Amino acid sequence: MRTVLVVDDEYGTVEVLLAALEDAGYRVLTAANGRRALERLEENKPDLVVSDFMMPLMDGAALVHAMRSNPEYRDIPVIMMSAAPESALRKHVDGYQAFLRKPFRASALLERIASILSPLRSSSPR
Amino acid sequence: MTGNGNQLKLERVPTGIAGLDQILRGGLLGGGVYIIEGVPGTGKTVLANQISFNHVAAGGRVAFVTLLAESHTRMLQHLQPMSFYREEAIPDRLYYVSGFRILESEGLKGIVDLLRREIEGQRATLLVLDGFATTEESASSPREFKKFVHEVQAHAAALECTVLLLTNGSERAVSPEYTMVDGVIQLEDTLFEQRTERTLQIAKFRGSDFLPGRHPFRITNRGHEIFPRVETAFAVPTVQDAYSPRRHSTGIPSLDEILGGGVLAETSNGVYGPTGIGKTTLGLQYVALSSPTEPGTFFGFFESPERLRARAETLGVDLRGLERNGSVEVIWYPQGEHILDELGHRMVEAVRRRGVKRMFIDGYGALVESATNPERMTRFVSTLSNELRALNATVIMSMESRNVMGTATELPSKGLSSLLEGLILMRYTEIDGRIRRVVSVTKIRDSGFDPRLRVFEIGPRGIEIGDAIHGVEGALSGFAREPRVVRPDRVQGKGQED
Repeated sequence: MRTVLVVDDEYGTVEVLLAALEDAGYRVLTAANGRRALERLEENKPDLVVSDFMMPLMDGAALVHAMRSNPEYRDIPVIMMSAAPESALRKHVDGYQAFLRKPFRASALLERIASILSPLRSSSPR
Repeated sequence: MTGNGNQLKLERVPTGIAGLDQILRGGLLGGGVYIIEGVPGTGKTVLANQISFNHVAAGGRVAFVTLLAESHTRMLQHLQPMSFYREEAIPDRLYYVSGFRILESEGLKGIVDLLRREIEGQRATLLVLDGFATTEESASSPREFKKFVHEVQAHAAALECTVLLLTNGSERAVSPEYTMVDGVIQLEDTLFEQRTERTLQIAKFRGSDFLPGRHPFRITNRGHEIFPRVETAFAVPTVQDAYSPRRHSTGIPSLDEILGGGVLAETSNGVYGPTGIGKTTLGLQYVALSSPTEPGTFFGFFESPERLRARAETLGVDLRGLERNGSVEVIWYPQGEHILDELGHRMVEAVRRRGVKRMFIDGYGALVESATNPERMTRFVSTLSNELRALNATVIMSMESRNVMGTATELPSKGLSSLLEGLILMRYTEIDGRIRRVVSVTKIRDSGFDPRLRVFEIGPRGIEIGDAIHGVEGALSGFAREPRVVRPDRVQGKGQED
């Protein structure tokens, strides 16, 4: 079973994505901000990270930067999501594989995850 | 804060909402903590966001922290159609985060840390905390809650960040947070029979004067439009009033003659009469004398601009041409649910914007209809008149009498006649089996006028006033009759107001 780490300070968003991803057969880890996400990464290395941009304590840009600076996590694909447009994020963060503007349908996220993970391994979650 | 020797002076932080800044005498005080309170639906979140976007537009930086379970993504979706919303402000200068999970896991201490870090990390000069009431619910004791408020205040002051705490309000009469914070802004919806009126009130504002009482506002796609109560906003005219002995022609030479040369310049005057008698016609003739250097405004509620233009044409007045060359502006508020104070501010704005000298308001009844508390009307008109007079506008306002005919000549609001410097009375009366229009002047302050009743007609050149009525009395009652006792002075002589 593939593991997805969902990082978002918004309780409602995390709950919705958690349910959708679990229904789709993924194992899901959650974190409320970038700092918690780094702790989660140490505990369980996920196959993919879905991260919000604006979060307290450590934002999505800092999280991606920390991941790309660490050989352990450098290759984990990241999908960024934000209520702000992608153009506003680009100057702060790079090295992510996809972007979703909030709000979005859970199906859109599932499609992105599938398209990123399938070339890496099989096309559907184990 | 700015240094002045050893003394630190608190700087104003404008909200960017003109009406609110007027109420606050320039804005909030920098580094202060303010509660914005109101039950759900009163517009707290929109107000805080509007202030936030305005703050960013003025060069500030904002951290917006929500403790509610609701998503700020959804909130931003609702804000996007608002004219103040600027997508480019997010996330660089306006940063939204949720503290809901931190509050759940780390309690108030975690929230204090979060707020401090966000102020520092975002270099925020304004912090909004939405869902402040949940912090009290999370506190293990009143003492812990007070400590939390105190810590927020201390960090805000030290980091020179102004803080807005949004809350549904406390059920307690005196809540500790109210005594601690620097100010409280209350938002309220009040039901008046079928209509509601939103109002804003400053319940507390440390270190500053403010306009007291409830001030109406509306929420549109421009956000909050707040209209400081006219009686407080113009309690003292914004410019020095200067007496002028000049007269303004009414546009009807024979009426000017009766008035002793026209209405007194920079005064408020009334024309009172039943429907269809010719009040609007008088107004059109009055503003028709406007010019680009002495502009006029027709501020109406009843007839649309297009209808007014057509009516003016029948009187030989090229209203469209006057509008085109900048002499006249027609402002029309079709009758509906208006906010009285908004109308007052629109009138003042219309006069200020173009330096209006002639203004016709058609009419007073629509203003009364807009008032949720008609008891205010006399004070409202008094204050508004003072401001318009100080701005050098000469105002004539139509006032409709209830009866088409009859004896009642009482003005629509108590005390109104004493506020008006001039009063023209128009009536229908029956003379020799015919309904005739009659006009008389009943008041020109500190000046002589011709008190006689005169028949008038409305022809292709507008109002044409004929001779004084002879040989009858009781015409004002609507039914002229032969005088019981014929007095030799019945038709002669000039009057002087008491």
